[in-house]
Amino acid sequence: MSFRLRLILFIVAILAIIQIVTAVLVYRSTREASIEAGERQLSSAAAAVVQQLDEVSVRVADAVQVMSLDYALRASIAQRDRQTLLSALRNHGRRVGATRMMLLDLDGSIAADTGAGPDVGKIFPFDDLFNEALEHPASAVVAANGQAHWTVVVPVFTPALNALIAASIPIDGALLARMQRQSAVSQAVELVTQDDKGAWRELASGKHDIRLSAQVQNWSAALDSGTRLVTAGGAEYLVKAVRLTGSRGSAPVAVVIGYSLDEALAPFRSVGVAWAILLALGLLTGVVGALLIGRSVSRPVERLALRARKIASGDYSLSGPEKQRGEMKDLSLALTSMTQAIAEREEQIHHQATHDAVTLLANRTSTEQHVQRELKDSSNAGGAMLMIALGQFAAIIKTMGHAIGDRVMRDAAARLRQLMPVGFVARVTDNTFAIWLQAGDRAAASALAFRVLDALAEPYQESGLTVDLAPSVGVALAPDHGDNASTLLQRGEVAVFAAIARGEAVSIYDPTTDPHRAERLSLMTELQEAIASGQLQLHYQPKLNLSRGRFDAVEGLVRWQHPLRGAIAPDAFIGLAEETGNIRRLTRWVLATGVAQARSWFAQAVDLRVALNLSARDLDDAELPQRVAELLALQGLPAANLVLEVTESAVMRRPEASTEILNQLASMGITLAIDDFGVGQSSFAYLRRLPVSELKIDKAFVRELGSDRGDQTIVHSIVELGHRLGCRVTAEGVEDAAALEFLRSIDCDHAQGYHLCHALPAELIPAFLITNRVQQGALEGRL
Amino acid sequence: MGCSMLRWVVFFVLSVQAAAAAQLDVQLHDRHGQPVADAVISVTIQSASSDETRTPAQTKVIDQKNEQFDPYLEIFRPGDSVIFRNSDSTRHHVYSFSPSKTFEFVLASGEQSPPIILDKPGVIATGCNIHDSMITYLVVSDARWLGRSGKDGVVTIKDIPAGSYQLAVWHPLLRPGSEPQPQALTIDPVVTAVSASFALSLLPDPRATNDLEHAVY
Repeated sequence: MSFRLRLILFIVAILAIIQIVTAVLVYRSTREASIEAGERQLSSAAAAVVQQLDEVSVRVADAVQVMSLDYALRASIAQRDRQTLLSALRNHGRRVGATRMMLLDLDGSIAADTGAGPDVGKIFPFDDLFNEALEHPASAVVAANGQAHWTVVVPVFTPALNALIAASIPIDGALLARMQRQSAVSQAVELVTQDDKGAWRELASGKHDIRLSAQVQNWSAALDSGTRLVTAGGAEYLVKAVRLTGSRGSAPVAVVIGYSLDEALAPFRSVGVAWAILLALGLLTGVVGALLIGRSVSRPVERLALRARKIASGDYSLSGPEKQRGEMKDLSLALTSMTQAIAEREEQIHHQATHDAVTLLANRTSTEQHVQRELKDSSNAGGAMLMIALGQFAAIIKTMGHAIGDRVMRDAAARLRQLMPVGFVARVTDNTFAIWLQAGDRAAASALAFRVLDALAEPYQESGLTVDLAPSVGVALAPDHGDNASTLLQRGEVAVFAAIARGEAVSIYDPTTDPHRAERLSLMTELQEAIASGQLQLHYQPKLNLSRGRFDAVEGLVRWQHPLRGAIAPDAFIGLAEETGNIRRLTRWVLATGVAQARSWFAQAVDLRVALNLSARDLDDAELPQRVAELLALQGLPAANLVLEVTESAVMRRPEASTEILNQLASMGITLAIDDFGVGQSSFAYLRRLPVSELKIDKAFVRELGSDRGDQTIVHSIVELGHRLGCRVTAEGVEDAAALEFLRSIDCDHAQGYHLCHALPAELIPAFLITNRVQQGALEGRL
Repeated sequence: MGCSMLRWVVFFVLSVQAAAAAQLDVQLHDRHGQPVADAVISVTIQSASSDETRTPAQTKVIDQKNEQFDPYLEIFRPGDSVIFRNSDSTRHHVYSFSPSKTFEFVLASGEQSPPIILDKPGVIATGCNIHDSMITYLVVSDARWLGRSGKDGVVTIKDIPAGSYQLAVWHPLLRPGSEPQPQALTIDPVVTAVSASFALSLLPDPRATNDLEHAVY
């Protein structure tokens, strides 16, 4: 509901309520006052009517009395001259307005009657009137034949009491109407009588609309003196009834007076009409006023609301100041300054969101957007993404803190900006800048890369501090290496990482060496599932003890039977697992599986030592010896039955830490072997200190051993060296009998290779051993 | 009121004191116990068909003074005559519509009427047509003994011999329908005095309300 509507409703409601309540109060008090006044008037009117009737009655009686003194009448009465008597009675009756005259004998019987009825000789019905009239004239209002009459009885003296005259004078509507006219207040007057059944019936009525007899129907014969409020014909009346002096011989007669409340209230009706007009005018004024006030308030509010909606939708264009006064002007001004503040802040937030706070260069997000836009606009013209990483940045932060780091980056950014005053330069990671060379090809990118390197070649300097930036540049080209910005950024980073790894200054992205290609990552995810779901198996390649002429050891080798890709070669996933940090899980699985299998064979008294491979990353794991010890203890396998193989390069990566781990393992009685011996960059100094008891000659030297003199010399030398160092020596990759024969001839301890046996599932090993022992001769023949 | 009026009681007490002739005392009072004047007591011999004792005819004068007849009531024997005399300075229009004697004449001041013979028993109410409050009652009776009560309401009749009689009472203002019934009266030879008592129900005396045209209701 709008403000304007509410204002109008409020004002209208207040006005209406006040007016109506006042009107009701005034009406009610007026009405009550009218009723009270009406009751008073009615009482006095009733008394007045009764008195008027009595006065008329007295006048009639007086007239009859006077008539009774007429000499001629008296003569005719005394003489009971019937015809004269009747005519005299009629004549005198007319004088007093009587419709019926009777002469009564002193015994109460009717002696003469001017009426139509043959009542002569009957007893006069109103004996109380008769008896009273013996002493003085008597009168009463009686009902007869549906009409009201005064019955006046007077004695006739001739000169002694001789008879009585009864006169019957009707009380009709005309008389009542005359009395109404004479009365000050217009009232309804009606004479009623009670019939045999107790119902009140009208006898005579004045001039009015209401039938009062209907209103007193249920009143008792006593006609309580109180006043009643009745509704008749849609109008309200106060009604009062008074019994008139009657005769025992007649049904009771009462006068009923009605006081019209509506008429009494009529003078107030014009006040009411004036009131209603006043109310209507007040309401009209209120509504118009509310409309005007509401408009003066709501119009500007609506305009301000429109402006607020514009601001919400991002439209900060400032409309002119509102032509308002007071609070509206304040609000308008506040809205304007708020709009400006929001616009500034949004600008600031936008800048922060798209720029690096330190160098004020574009950040990665805006780089992506910018490059994407340029790629799109240039319609496949392509470009080159140069990623410049500062190799020393992490070390700078660690050793000198972020303040220096920020200054270094600002300096580097300034140099790049100087180099590329108009080009797009961004800082995409902590230590990496990016330059986008629109439409740049490989050659242009390379040229720019070297200029960048030149620019960053100078070390960063500040008082007493010189920092070598050690920049490397990786280049990704569009559309060769990617057709969208995020791919180009990623490929550029891969390239720069490759450059750092290889110690090269510039590297252009090479898809073949990218370790981060998606399919490789997915293989790692699957490897985790494979470990969990048992897709991996450990196969065992037997090793022949050349001096004993029998197989007394096996090497555990991982086999992955992928449900979709089939068998996956260890080379395909082990290196990847090492790079992605999954190798430790793989190693744990290999150790658990291999130790359990060794324990199984040990329990079956199968004489085999089991060799398992550790990765270079495993040598970083200080908890490895503890885990191996727990595993052995759990399975109850003697440490002497377990051989752990590590490659030469793995040990050489971090010689100190590796030596510590290996010493712990050796101290537990585990045999340690150096795998792939001869191809790594072993330092004899380290080798001497390693707790190693076995050397495994790399298969590169063994494959051609039967025919290659050089290899033979090397292998022979290694065997002799090993023996001198107190190590047994094993030759891997024995693929023919000549090699085997040579190895035997130079006292090599063990031989291993396809010529002897493939890696076999664990369950086939015992059978293989038995077969070979039985066929010892055949084996010997192979030599 | 009518009923109670009809049921009023006549107290009647007899006592015997002397032989031969007795004296009758009748006490009359109204319903309020006040003595009633102008009541006429008549004693008739029950066994006789008429009273044979005849006194000589008399002529009595009814005077008119101060617009009143005087006396208010006079007893006549059949055959007696009445003379009306006007002692006032105004005229009087004397009339009677009574069945037993009807007459009408005007008497100027100082005039008197010729004797009017009242030959039939009955009450002749006589008035003046000019003055409504003027009235006199001429009671003509052939009863053996007649008596009129004084202001003390007592009627005394002497020398009534022993015998059976009828005792009746009349008053001009007796309420119609309340006239006391005649009572049997037996006088033993040994009694000398008999007394009787009547309570009468009377209408108000119209003379008291001088103005008949303006009656009080």
